[in-house]
Amino acid sequence: MLVEFELIERARSGDDSAFNQIVQAYRKRILGTISRTIGRPEDVEDVGQEVFLRLYYSLDQLRTPEVFEPWLYRLTVNAAYDYLRRQRRRQESRMSDLSEQQVMLADAAAGSKRRDEEQRRTKIRELAQSLLGQVSEEDRILLTLKEVEGLSLKELEKIYSVNENALKVRLFRARQRVLKAFGARENSEAVSKAGLGSADDSE
Amino acid sequence: MDRMQHQGEKRLDALFAEYRMACPDPEPSADFMPSMWKRIEARRVATVSVFRHWAQICVMATLALTVLIGGVLIPKFQENAASSSSYLEALSAEHSADYIHMLAGGPR
Repeated sequence: MLVEFELIERARSGDDSAFNQIVQAYRKRILGTISRTIGRPEDVEDVGQEVFLRLYYSLDQLRTPEVFEPWLYRLTVNAAYDYLRRQRRRQESRMSDLSEQQVMLADAAAGSKRRDEEQRRTKIRELAQSLLGQVSEEDRILLTLKEVEGLSLKELEKIYSVNENALKVRLFRARQRVLKAFGARENSEAVSKAGLGSADDSE
Repeated sequence: MDRMQHQGEKRLDALFAEYRMACPDPEPSADFMPSMWKRIEARRVATVSVFRHWAQICVMATLALTVLIGGVLIPKFQENAASSSSYLEALSAEHSADYIHMLAGGPR
């Protein structure tokens, strides 16, 4: 826990300054989770504010301060899911933005070494996000929380209010799909590299 | 086949770990807190205005009901009361007529 139970109790009873302190303690972690889940840096703060807005208006439904963190993660999962669903609806129009944003990111990186590092990171982000895009929004979020955020099954159980076995099955299936897509991508890259190699040889 | 699968799993784990490092927790902008409070306030105002709207609707409905009761239903009740008194009068008048008939030795 990043805050004392007493602070949560105060926020629950309507103390805005206590709520402010909670947001300040958790915002960076929540923004990080959102960033890795939705994969669009420019919308991370917007979704993060939505999470804390929902927290503000649902704190009175929190049974005990002990379950605060799973509660906050559940709100994060729901906000990220809503965002991804909206995003899917306007996916076509957004495809052009993505490349612009990547160009801007690359331009912003000063110096060739830094630019190379940024390009490598951008490639990893692109690859991971495209693989995670192979599964449904719900599974994408679940897989990100488990594999990238490193949450345990026990923690996920509390967040989703679903038993561990059901989560294991969902995670296994989602991971298998991602793994299959990863393998296919590696194979196609190997083939295209081999193709390039043979073209070079023939020259 | 199992070995290939295992290697694939390991490479995927490595990719997820790299992805985690490639996306560090972002620093919130200076505008994060003010914007969040603005949104909270906007929601509060919207909720209050919804309540106000419903309260207005309730007041209007109450007024309309009052007018309906005062202008239509009460006069109607009064009218009914008036007709019921004239009915009693008519009844007593009929009874007295029977009594007169009886006294006169007419048919029962």
